[in-house]
Amino acid sequence: MAQWRNHAPSPATLLSSRLVRRLLPLLILVLGAFAIYIDLPGSRFMVLSNPDTGFTQPLETKLGLDLKGGLQIKYMVPSQYSPSSEDMEVIRTIMENRINTTGAGEIVVQTVGSNQIQVEVPDVKDPDAVRQLVRQTGTLEFVLLPPETYGTSQAAGSVAVPQKGEKIDPSLEAQFTGAELDAGKVLARYDTTYQWVVDFGFKGDAATRFSDWTGEHIDDFFAIVLDGKVVSAPSINAKIEGGSGFIYGNFDASSAKELATILRYGALPYPVEELDVREIPATLGQSFLNQTLFAGGVGILLVMLFMLIYYRLPGVVADLALVYYGLVVLAIFRIIPVTLTLAGIAGFVLSVGMAVDANILIFERTKEELRAGKTLIAATEAGFNRAWNSIFDSNVSSMITAAILYFFGSPTVRGFALVLMIGVAMSMFSAITVSRTMLRGIVQQRFAERAWLFGVSNEEFQARALQGRYRREGRRHV
Amino acid sequence: MFDIIGKRLWFFLFSGLILVPGLIFIVLTPLSNGKQGLQFSVDYTGGTVWEIKFVNPDADGADVARVLTEYGIVEPEISKDTAGYFKIRMKETNLMPPPTLPPTAGPSSSASPEASSSANPEASASAAASASPSAEATPAPTPLPSGCVRRIPDVGKLADIAVALQADPNLGPIECTREQTTVGPVVSGEMIQQTILLIFAGSIGILIWIGIRFRSIKFGATALAALIHDVIVVVGIFAILGTLFRVQIDSLFVTAMLTVIGFSVHDTIVVFDRIRENKTRHAGEPFDQIVNHSILQTFGRSINTSFTVVLTLTALLLFAGASIQYFVLALLIGIVSGTYSSIFNASPLLVIWQLWEDRRRARELALARASRRR
Repeated sequence: MAQWRNHAPSPATLLSSRLVRRLLPLLILVLGAFAIYIDLPGSRFMVLSNPDTGFTQPLETKLGLDLKGGLQIKYMVPSQYSPSSEDMEVIRTIMENRINTTGAGEIVVQTVGSNQIQVEVPDVKDPDAVRQLVRQTGTLEFVLLPPETYGTSQAAGSVAVPQKGEKIDPSLEAQFTGAELDAGKVLARYDTTYQWVVDFGFKGDAATRFSDWTGEHIDDFFAIVLDGKVVSAPSINAKIEGGSGFIYGNFDASSAKELATILRYGALPYPVEELDVREIPATLGQSFLNQTLFAGGVGILLVMLFMLIYYRLPGVVADLALVYYGLVVLAIFRIIPVTLTLAGIAGFVLSVGMAVDANILIFERTKEELRAGKTLIAATEAGFNRAWNSIFDSNVSSMITAAILYFFGSPTVRGFALVLMIGVAMSMFSAITVSRTMLRGIVQQRFAERAWLFGVSNEEFQARALQGRYRREGRRHV
Repeated sequence: MFDIIGKRLWFFLFSGLILVPGLIFIVLTPLSNGKQGLQFSVDYTGGTVWEIKFVNPDADGADVARVLTEYGIVEPEISKDTAGYFKIRMKETNLMPPPTLPPTAGPSSSASPEASSSANPEASASAAASASPSAEATPAPTPLPSGCVRRIPDVGKLADIAVALQADPNLGPIECTREQTTVGPVVSGEMIQQTILLIFAGSIGILIWIGIRFRSIKFGATALAALIHDVIVVVGIFAILGTLFRVQIDSLFVTAMLTVIGFSVHDTIVVFDRIRENKTRHAGEPFDQIVNHSILQTFGRSINTSFTVVLTLTALLLFAGASIQYFVLALLIGIVSGTYSSIFNASPLLVIWQLWEDRRRARELALARASRRR
């Protein structure tokens, strides 16, 4: 069988060019300073997911619903409708607009898969009202009630005029629909007759048709129907000029505003079903957050302690790189922004445990090279270069599974996957640039030439003797 | 030098000691119709979860169950946590009120349907306007302990249940409520399918990646075998925990599994990378010795890389609270199992495969020679 030495695209060649070597520490410092700025509370910068807002956006660490509390609902368009992705986007936008009118904080409305939409509303006061508002299809219809059966305002017909809340006879045809309404003319207001009404107006051509139609049907009853149920069924008393009027049907303030909202943002192209409703109290989220942060802090400190004790001088380097890693990752979370859930924080803590792995592989390899007789400087270089293959391969493996979770998982899972992906990518960066640059600088110092600083025995440590000789001879390191 | 490869059967036996009971308990799940084996949370099964705390600290789960059964709830599962909250799990999904349309929400008492056009407002008599029974009965504002929310449903079946629970002499008023969740059966059916698909896709992804990087099916396939080992260990242990302690698998479990799949291959890669290196360096030495040597050379770092992750996960397990406890536990088991399987399963399997291939090749060679001689 052919033997392949199959190198990962090595950073060694790139990073050993003299220019890069000079510039790298500077780059690391600039990036670190920038990360610290981003991490500071109240800092402003561009939000990457929405670049149009400019460079002065206030940044914040976004917390998921499980940490700040709120309402989460998943909707589904029943499968018999097979909505297109454009339909889903329309539904998503309408739902978003509707919830926005409730004044809820930072809402999230996103499509999931081909026919689901997940809605997240933080700090919700009346969850049931939000549920009512969002899920209505909102198809408004103006239906003429034929005078032959329903009679007129002058003479009663054989069938009683349907009352509010009753289902409309589906065989009756709609003369006008909510789609023909002019959103700008829809308004809930408290009428001079001391009741809540919803003003409406038709747009363009429909306005003329509406006024002609009312002119033709004076004294007839018609029904204003929302999602198949009668809102009100008045009779037409006179031709309505200008194509506008108002709906009135026992509204209170909130139901009038709700109807206005639904009319203004239009009807959903398909009805939706609630699949899944979760309510999480805000206080519960806060205590989860505190617990998890404490646990994460303990975990990270233990890892740093372990690195320090086991790897000594390189351990110090790894710990510093880890702090750097944490600052940069947090900055990335804030700038994208990534919404942190409970699992996401766990994912970050986990990624800290993984981030030092690259360092462990490098330091172990360096030890090996030291024992094999290399000088300190040569051994650290070899340590980085030889460990790179394993580091790259294993991190790509993590990336593959995280990417599968991100692209095919549910939204809850997606946050965790994104955290993990950022963590893995950054840990590779910090291992091969930050740790390496620091270690490169340190091994050239005299104080570093001690075997115990690297956890090897004196006999195994060639650096002191050799480097001392080279220095005396005025030679550069080999 | 410690001979890991030589003792490979012992290590396989040890894996078997966990795999076999695990598999038995996994298989038990469909056989017992979900009663034993893996216990799925409402994320998977669909149903309603409601967390409540009574003012009475001695309220008993049995009383809660009795009231619920009176209301036709079939086999409610009730557990009480240390903070005094009852977690009530019901299979029913129709307990929360169905959303109603706002104009029809209140029972309209108006006799004559009314509407008006702005052109002739005088035409519509507005007699029915005052009858708007929209104000819903809100619970009396009692002072709440800090960190406590009280939101009791006022419509739907859950509202009736809440009234009945509070009316029960052994239970009394509800003090606080926590999470209230309903998951429909459609989501849950999808979840199981998705979980299996994601784990499958993750495994195939790793198989392909290792196969490409090591240019060898052998490396890819043995790494995959170690992965499957880890998946079965975690799922199996959760099946056992589910049977014995009713530990449930929730939607985060799939996340844990994929993370385990991605991470447990790390150690395998480190060993395999070393095997590849030593194979060129010590060409001619027997393959099992090369592998054994490679394992021992990388042993320290395999343990250390996993140890740092175990440190962080243990901290999370101990301090991060109940809601992600089992998620962290799944990760922890998976990562320990991943390290074990990398060292003691994947590499020995590689040796077995290689030796079998060598023998076959030698046999073919011998056959070829023999036929030529003839």
